[in-house]
Amino acid sequence: MTFSWEIAALSVAAGTLIFLVLNRRRRRHIELIEDALKHLYNCEYTKVSCTLESLSGALGYGREQAAAVVSELTRSKFITLEGSELKLTSSGREYALKVIRVHRLWERHLADETMVQEVDWHKQAEAKEHSLKQEQVSELSRRLGHPVYDPHGDPIPGADGSIPAVRGIPLQTFNKNAVVTITHVEDEPTSVYAQLVQRGLYPGMNLRVLDKLSDSLVIQKEGIVFEIPLIVAANVRAVPEQRKKDTGPQKTLATLRPGEEGIVSGISHGCRGLQRRRLMDLGIVPGTTVGAVMTSVSGDPTAYRIRGGVIALRKEQAEMVFLQ
Amino acid sequence: MSRREEILKTAEKLRWDLGERVHDHTVEALHAEASRIAGKVIAVSGEKPAFNYERILDALVTNRWTGFPIMFLVLAVVFWITIEGANVPSSFLAWILLDTVHPALNQFGGAVGMPWWINGFLFDGVYLAMAWVVSVMLPPMAIFFPLFTLAEDFGYLPRVAFNLDSLFRKAGAHGKQALTMAMGYGCNAAAIVSTRIIDSPRERLIAILTNNFAICNGRWPTLILIATIFIGALAPPSLSSAVSSVAVVTVVVIGIVMTFVVSWGLSKTILKGEASFFSLELPPYRPPRIWQTLYTSVIDRTLIVLWRAVVWSVPAGGVIWLVSNIYIGDSSLAEHAVHSFDPVAFLFGLNGVILLAYIIAIPANEIVIPTVLMLTVLVTGMTELGSGAGVMFELESELATAHVLKAGGWTLLTGINLMLFSLLHNPCSTTLYTIYKETGSAKWTTLAALIPLAIAFLVCFVVTQLWALL
Repeated sequence: MTFSWEIAALSVAAGTLIFLVLNRRRRRHIELIEDALKHLYNCEYTKVSCTLESLSGALGYGREQAAAVVSELTRSKFITLEGSELKLTSSGREYALKVIRVHRLWERHLADETMVQEVDWHKQAEAKEHSLKQEQVSELSRRLGHPVYDPHGDPIPGADGSIPAVRGIPLQTFNKNAVVTITHVEDEPTSVYAQLVQRGLYPGMNLRVLDKLSDSLVIQKEGIVFEIPLIVAANVRAVPEQRKKDTGPQKTLATLRPGEEGIVSGISHGCRGLQRRRLMDLGIVPGTTVGAVMTSVSGDPTAYRIRGGVIALRKEQAEMVFLQ
Repeated sequence: MSRREEILKTAEKLRWDLGERVHDHTVEALHAEASRIAGKVIAVSGEKPAFNYERILDALVTNRWTGFPIMFLVLAVVFWITIEGANVPSSFLAWILLDTVHPALNQFGGAVGMPWWINGFLFDGVYLAMAWVVSVMLPPMAIFFPLFTLAEDFGYLPRVAFNLDSLFRKAGAHGKQALTMAMGYGCNAAAIVSTRIIDSPRERLIAILTNNFAICNGRWPTLILIATIFIGALAPPSLSSAVSSVAVVTVVVIGIVMTFVVSWGLSKTILKGEASFFSLELPPYRPPRIWQTLYTSVIDRTLIVLWRAVVWSVPAGGVIWLVSNIYIGDSSLAEHAVHSFDPVAFLFGLNGVILLAYIIAIPANEIVIPTVLMLTVLVTGMTELGSGAGVMFELESELATAHVLKAGGWTLLTGINLMLFSLLHNPCSTTLYTIYKETGSAKWTTLAALIPLAIAFLVCFVVTQLWALL
């Protein structure tokens, strides 16, 4: 038999193709298992019972696929069946927390170290949670300074799987005139989350419930008043704020004319990640005196005297800095 | 349980109570403590002088009416000193390295009985490319960089960035990109290093990926030569130098427009997710430290870049000589390449010689025209010109150069497309290597090469097809 280049090339190509297809199927399989575990954990965390039906509904699996996943999870001793209810075993919980840890760390990374839009965080983290290796995860956590909460206010499980109880109660349960601090902004479903992002609601932010209407809440945030439907408000959790916080209109750095001075009272919560960190590193913290020095030829940016140095900031940044 | 483990356990439990504002609180506490200490130990003495020249200067350079005229004046003076000042040392270096040492080396090779191909490879290939790069590149850089650094040291350049920021902001870029662009008019490789002044990751990448559209020192002579030969010649003799200047300025303006368009496109697409932050320090004016500036700009900028260019030009010189002297059948590798490139190149209004020259002269734009001339003579068989296969040369008069190029089949369209290609094409390998060093990323380096190259081919293609229609 004579050696033929064509046949050799064809068999290499076919081999590669088969390998790719098998590898893809294997990875898709792992994703199914991990997503199911994650869902079961979330049910447990929020104290909702979970059945085969709710699993297939929540994850969009067909009934047969869901049944196959459940039987495999049972075989691997990740879950047990109590009647029709699915319960995590301790090893199942441990596995789920590992996946959740990656997901939330990655969201933290996207929020702190990139300019990826809020509504894209979840999708990107969904992809990352299945592919990051354990060493990469510890390295990521170290680089981010071992963060405790993800940008939605969900706790990031420790490497040992430790996790605290849920913080806060749904926003619509507060009374009129209550001043609250947001602890959690749910990122699913995306359409509701997009509305929350558009309103600029982030964990850590103070709100005042101005009024409760039949199907919406009137909210005041950093001086801006707006209405949000109850169904949207249900995706925000908050705790009452003990310290006196002003949610009324605030003067910003952008209002200073050259020669005027002001004292910083804080930075808007809409300013996060690198943007926020660098402003603070420049010395823009509560109590700092800041004076406008001059504007550029076109009127923007403006140079400010901050702790002895002269730093130019753009208008959209100066609008994020509140003055007393 | 040991005490240590107990503490760790407690700490682990307490983490959850820190909340998401722990970083804010830490920074606030650090600043509060620092200013408390500073208030205790620093005494401020003396009154501010009644006449504050800094305030008057700042008022002038940021004034709506005087700000931009001052800027253009300063830049014009810097460029004028560079161009005028570089002429003398450049021709001196060319006389030594190209006209004196090169023949001497050849003679030496002949005297010790070196085989012709070793002689040719080493002296006509490697040495000549290196000498050419040094003599064209060194003088302008050695003048431009110190001047630029002096303006920076004095505190004027940050004010330029301050004034131009609103323009760059609209393109998604940083005001300091104005400075790295200006640096690019001297040398793109040095400009890539200078993008370190942009501390925001996204805007720095934008500055790196678009710096190529600032015409470097190695491309000015090409543009001026081609504009004179092909565009200036269209006008009556009395106007020809004015017309060719307008052509060169037009190319510069196209480059600036491309910088903004590509910056804007990058910030909206592939760089959308990169971290971004704006701040610009305006340091107080101070008398420039002349000697220190001279030393650091010569060592840090000029010599490092020159060294990289030399390192790259050595293999290129060898390749240029080899492709012209290795024969397959009846013709050299270069001729084979030129003929196979021709059909593709014609689509873009260029020719095979130009494409081959841009490939083998990738280390430095300075040697593109000498390579083009050498290849044209080789391909057309005008052996009475030049100094032999694989030996780069330049001609004394523009008329003689025009004669060679026209014999090589160049038309007005070829000239226009070469100018556009020279402006838009990929950065030289010295710059690409610097981009790799600065970003540490093969991805950004590849994009830095491919984006301009794709734009260059696209623009040349459109121009050529429109030309055919008219």
